[in-house]
This record gives sequence, C-alpha cells and structure tokens, in this order.
Amino acid sequence: MNDPYTLHKLDNGLQVVIEEMPDVRSAAAGFLARTGARDEVRDLAGVSHFLEHMMFKGTEKRTWREITVDFDRLGGSYNAFTSEDRTFYYGWVRHADVCHQIELLADMMRSIIPEEEFNTEKGVILEEIAQYKDHLTSVAYEFIQEKVFAGHSLSWPILGHKETVSGLSRDQMWAYFRERYAPDNLMLIVAGKVDPGEIIGFAEEYCGGWEPSGTKTDRKPPEIHGGTDVLQVEKFNQQIVALTFPSVGATHDWHETASAAATILGGDNSRFFWNIMQAGISPHTSAYAVPYEDCGVLMLFGACEPDNAEKLLEAMRKEADIICREKVRQAEVDRVKNKRRTSLAVEAEAPYERLRQLMEDMDYRGAPRTVEQMLADVDAVTADTIADYFERYPINVDGHLASVGPRAWPQV
Amino acid sequence: MTQLAHDRLPCGVEYGVVSLPHRRVVSFQIMVLAGAATEPEDRLGLAHVLGDTLDKGTELRSGRELSDAFDAIGASTGTGTGREAVTLLCTVLPEHFQRAIELHAEMLCRPTFPEDAVQVNVELARQELKALEDDAHSFMDKLISPLAFGPLLGRHPLGERETLDALSRDDLVAHWRSCFCAERMLVAVAGPVQPSQVANALEKHFSAFGESGQSQGRMPLEAAFTPGTKHHAKQLEQQHIGICWPGVGYTHEDYPVQRVTLGILAGGMSGRLFTEVREKQGLVYWVDAWHSTPRGCGMLFMGASSTPDNCAKTYETMLREVDRLAKDDIDPEELERAITGIVASNETRGDLTRSRCNEMANDLFQFGHPVPIEEKLAKVQAVTVKDVQDYLMKYPRDSLCVVTLGPKEFARP
Repeated sequence: MNDPYTLHKLDNGLQVVIEEMPDVRSAAAGFLARTGARDEVRDLAGVSHFLEHMMFKGTEKRTWREITVDFDRLGGSYNAFTSEDRTFYYGWVRHADVCHQIELLADMMRSIIPEEEFNTEKGVILEEIAQYKDHLTSVAYEFIQEKVFAGHSLSWPILGHKETVSGLSRDQMWAYFRERYAPDNLMLIVAGKVDPGEIIGFAEEYCGGWEPSGTKTDRKPPEIHGGTDVLQVEKFNQQIVALTFPSVGATHDWHETASAAATILGGDNSRFFWNIMQAGISPHTSAYAVPYEDCGVLMLFGACEPDNAEKLLEAMRKEADIICREKVRQAEVDRVKNKRRTSLAVEAEAPYERLRQLMEDMDYRGAPRTVEQMLADVDAVTADTIADYFERYPINVDGHLASVGPRAWPQV
Repeated sequence: MTQLAHDRLPCGVEYGVVSLPHRRVVSFQIMVLAGAATEPEDRLGLAHVLGDTLDKGTELRSGRELSDAFDAIGASTGTGTGREAVTLLCTVLPEHFQRAIELHAEMLCRPTFPEDAVQVNVELARQELKALEDDAHSFMDKLISPLAFGPLLGRHPLGERETLDALSRDDLVAHWRSCFCAERMLVAVAGPVQPSQVANALEKHFSAFGESGQSQGRMPLEAAFTPGTKHHAKQLEQQHIGICWPGVGYTHEDYPVQRVTLGILAGGMSGRLFTEVREKQGLVYWVDAWHSTPRGCGMLFMGASSTPDNCAKTYETMLREVDRLAKDDIDPEELERAITGIVASNETRGDLTRSRCNEMANDLFQFGHPVPIEEKLAKVQAVTVKDVQDYLMKYPRDSLCVVTLGPKEFARP
C-alpha cells in the first residue's frame, strides 16, 4: 500500500507529521509539546497543566475571547490535555477548515500568558482539584501514583497540589514555557483529508519564525515501589483495591504482549469478569497496562463494598497467580486479537483517533505506524510471548497494594 | 444525499439502514422498547438487571460460550438500559455482520436467565447503586431526574435498594415475555451493507420473536415536572448545582431553535456560560447546559460544580445568562457560531460509522422514520435571532427545579 505519511522538519527543529486519509471528510490537527507533569520540579507541581489552561488565554494577536470565538467559528471539537509525558492541543474540523485550525493552534503556541488572567485561571484550576477530590476513582489513581512512584516526578498529580498551584507565579510559568514550548520541543501533527504540501506551507508560514531553545528532556525511569498503602476517605461508599507491578514501557517489544495479557486478565469477557465480577464480589474490576516513555506498570484495579475488600484482593491475587503459573490458552489470545482488529478498523476511519495514535507513535517511537503495522504487532503476540512476559514481570509477587475508601484496611 | 432505507418487516421489526459503501466496519443498534419506564412500580431496576442477564446464557450456549462466540468475530458490543429502551450496540468487520445479528437474536429470543446469574446481577446492581454516590455528577442525575420527568420517565435504571431486593428470576422471565418481542424492536444499521441484507437477516432471525400484537412501547410516556428546590447534604469538597425547566422534544418544530439556543448558551468555550462563569470569574471548572428529550417532551438543564464559597455567585450568573439571552440582543455572529458548531460537529463525527448509526437509531426512535441529515441541518441553519427570542418567550425559565448536592444547604437568592 502507499505510505500515507509525510514527515518534514522545519529549520528551527519543528517536526511536521501528516497522515493523508482520502476517504474521510474531516481533518484533525494538533501541537504536541513534549513536556508533562514528570518534567516538573516538586515546588512547581501542576505547572504543565496550569500552563495548558493559560495557553488559551491570549497571544500577541488574540485575546482569550478571540481565541475561543475563533475556535467556535470553525465548529467541530477542540481541546487540550496534559499527561505525565506530554501536553497536546488539538482540533477536529471539516477538512476545508484545517488551515484556519492550524493557524489558530500555532498562534496559541506563542502565548503571552497574560498576567491579568493568571489569578482568575488559578481559581479554575483549584476548582478542578476540588472536583477530583469528590471522585473516588480519581482520588485512588492519584494516591497510587504518589506511592508507587514515590520520590520521582511521576508521583506528582498532573493537576498539582492545592499548595503548589496556589503558590505558582506567572514568572515561574513563563520560564517553564520559554524552555519547553520552543519549536525543537514541539511537533505539528495532522491527519485527515488534507494536502501535505499545503500543510507544510502553513507550518513554514506560521511556525517558521519561532526560535529554538535547545532544550533537552532529561528523564530517568523511576524506582517502582512495593508495599501497602491505605487512604481512608469516609465520604465514599466503595473501597478501591489496587495491585500494581512493574511492566514494560511504550516502545518495548512486549508492549502489545503486556496489553493483551492485561485484557485476558481484566478486559471484557476476561478472567476477572467471570471469576470476580460475575461472582458478585465487585461491579468493576479490570487490569491495565500503563505505559510511559521509559517504564510502565501493570495495574489490577477493582471497586467493591468495603466489607468485600479481602475477598476482592484474594480473588485478584488468585487470578494473578494462575496466569503466571499456567500458560494462557491460544483461544484467549485470539479473542483479544480479533477485538483489536475491529478497534483498529474503527480507528482508521476517524481523523481524531489517528491523530492521537500518531501523537503517541511520534513521541514514543519517533515514527508513525500504519494500522497494518499495528496489526502486525498485535499478530506477533502469542501464548508463549505472554508466558515470557510474566516470567520477566511476574504478578504473583507482593507488588504494591493500595486501598482507598471508607475502611481503614488493611492494618499497616 | 446519503442512501437511507427504512421499513417494517412482516415479523414486526422496524429497521433503518445508512448505506456507506466504503467504510471498514458495520455498526448497528438494536433498541427494545422496554426500558425502566415499563417496569412494575415495585420492581424498579428490573430492565437494567434483565439487560445485563440477557447474555449470561441461552438455550444454545452458556454465558461464556456466547461471549466467546462474539469474540470469535471480534465484535465490539455493549448493552445499556435507559428510561424507554434497552439498547444493544455492536460494531464488527463487514464480513461478520450476519453472524453478529444471529448471535444477538439468540441472546434476545432465547435467553435462559440462569438463576445464579440473576442473583449476581441483582447484587451488582445494588453495589452500583451505592457506587453512584461516589461520582457527584451521576448522583446529581439520579437526584434531579424524578423532579424533571416525574415518576415514570424520571426513574433511574438502577432502581432502588428495596425494589432490587424484591427482584427474582421469575420477574425477569415475566418482563421478558411481556415486553421483549419483534414488534418492540427498532434496528439501525450503518456501514457497507445493503438494505436487503439487513432485512433478510432480521426477518430470518426474529420472525418468531414474541407474541404478535405487543406493539406497546411506541407511544410517548407521560412526563411530570416538579418545580422547587431540593438539597441533598453530603460531605464533599464542592457544591454541585442542577437546574432544569421545561423545553421541547426532539420532534417539535421548535427543537432546532432549542439546539441553537443551547449552542449560544453553552456551545464551545465562547458560549455564554463558559465565558461568564468560568473565563471571567474563575468560579468553576465545569459548567454546562444541555437538553434531555424522551419521546414527546424535552427538558433543559444547567449544571455546575463549585466550592461552597463560589456557589451562590455561580448560581446567580447562570440564571442571569439565561435571562440576558431572553432580554438582551443576541449578536448575529454569536448565532452563526452556534449554528456552525452544530453543523460542523455533525460533519466531522459523520466520519465515524457508529455515529451515523446512532443518528439513524435516534430518528427511528423519535420520528418513527429516518430524516436526512441535510434536512435536519437545514432547519438549524434557518434559525434566526428572532426565532431564538421567540423561543425564549414561549418557554421561559420562570418555573425552575433546583437541586444542590454538597456540604451546605443552599439558599436561593
């Protein structure tokens, strides 16, 4: 098949990546900033996410009001998000509007971080932090990150702490922005019904004058901690019980294997579904492979009645032990592969979904992967690769146990 | 224009097809018009438990075998129970479409409702009901729905603790016998399939499903709005506000105007609520307005979450913005943005096969026939500033239902 990708680098280091999708009517574009919560220092925890909000607040050319109005003139959907590894700004529009979308996003990347908007937006962030604290699953995930990656920047909450956000100044954010949002740390990604030559022309026009900063990302993989940690929060009804184990990062050869193993254990029609949920122990129990650039964890995560916590833990441990000791059946692997084929076919018709995948592939692997290449990676997973994975990354060991909910359990 | 097909088969199933020849997947939705509103009053939660137990065993297969059969064709499936229907969703590669319909038919027409699976699903529903309170937005929805829609349409699909306790396998079987039949089925399909393929598959597999004459479930149900104020005390960080008042339903001639009005109020980041409550004052992270439209009626909602000190100001600003819409001039550019938002969103999401399927399902459910998307969008594009002002005069927000959830009793200013 024809290669649908065009890769181009501007003189200032800005990478441009384009995927042509001639059969669709829309196009999605985004700027990837290779900076996230793990690139922060402790006292500035939350600056990446706060900055993401401030990027909508004004440029030399536009006020915050003009930015939002211009987005809404195009329609479609747009937003931004911050993760541990990156920050991403995107829009999904009718294909004829993609040049306007790119111009607007490019303008936003040269934010002036207006002083007069800083404190108002700080209020919004503090409300967002408060909102997370009323949501059990969010509270549990933040607690697990904090404990499993203790001492490493991956343990900071993406939103930051109330104290660090409250104490953050506009000057501190400006310094972070100048270093991390230079063109040599950004990438423009476009997918959909587009003309690559035209897109490169827009990139040169809108971004060609940006000055590189020579910034280098200095990331080190964290130590992954074991042990037991309990967070008692009486206002919730349910108890979260989670086990976390070391796993592979996003570019490891076993990445798809880890994902398939987690699905067999805790996806739809999985061992957890039939042996834990359909045993009435928990309404929601799952397993996830959570990959970062240079490390990863495999998490077994369930919610239950507080009195069922022992039963849930025992059941998760039992399934973890079985999958490590006994090779999975080929039929289980095939089931996962079949579903993945369908999900990749769905992804192939959606420019926004392709944009997200391109973003991840470019960031982690430095090159895009076609749906066919991803299918080949999925096809390489076998019962043997899963057995090899669990031999190297066993989950029938203690790992890290987190318990979050109204019950102070277990006694530590 | 897109090729749309629609018919009612001799077996009673009504179906609609959006033919999209170049797509890579087929998506379909099967709606059985037997949602929470059809439950006996002392068995609330029955439709949800039934929906979750349908795939736990058939006359031909155990629950695991059925799941394995779906996985063998890589089907992405899901079941949801709403107030008016139990909906089964499926996306598959085109070569597996026939098999996917066959398996759904087996599940719907020949379930065995194993006793142990029923008990487990009742227990899980009890747990989910409690878990609902750990998510403020879901809990708020449960609190406000009975006031917005009344005792029938305001039911929560998970039911109530007491009514779940009373559920038995016999209840499921009786409900399935009385409400699950071909004549209560709407099937929407989108993707590279011919209408004749769809018709043949449905007629083949659903020809003997249920007793004929069970055509109830197609008429709108009675809604009852209860204005007033209600506070639910809970020790939370934030105060959650829900406000609602009557609007119009999906098939009403003023519905396109209602969509545009909501677009001006809450479409995108330049919408009035986001601008005034969040961008200018920093009072909230989340504020929104939307409508909910069971057949035959519609309600407008506004929601926001803020820390208790910001709550009164948030509430006042939200209502002020609705009033300002009715009293002050609407900028034509603002109107244009709201219209563009609806049209562009439809066109971009139209690249997704499942989105086209969803549109067809909604048309069958609401109108009783497909309506070309171009026709619906043309009505939206024809909305004027005067239409919006007339709409706001006709459906004023003078009678409100306000629900708050959080640490402080909230005194309405």
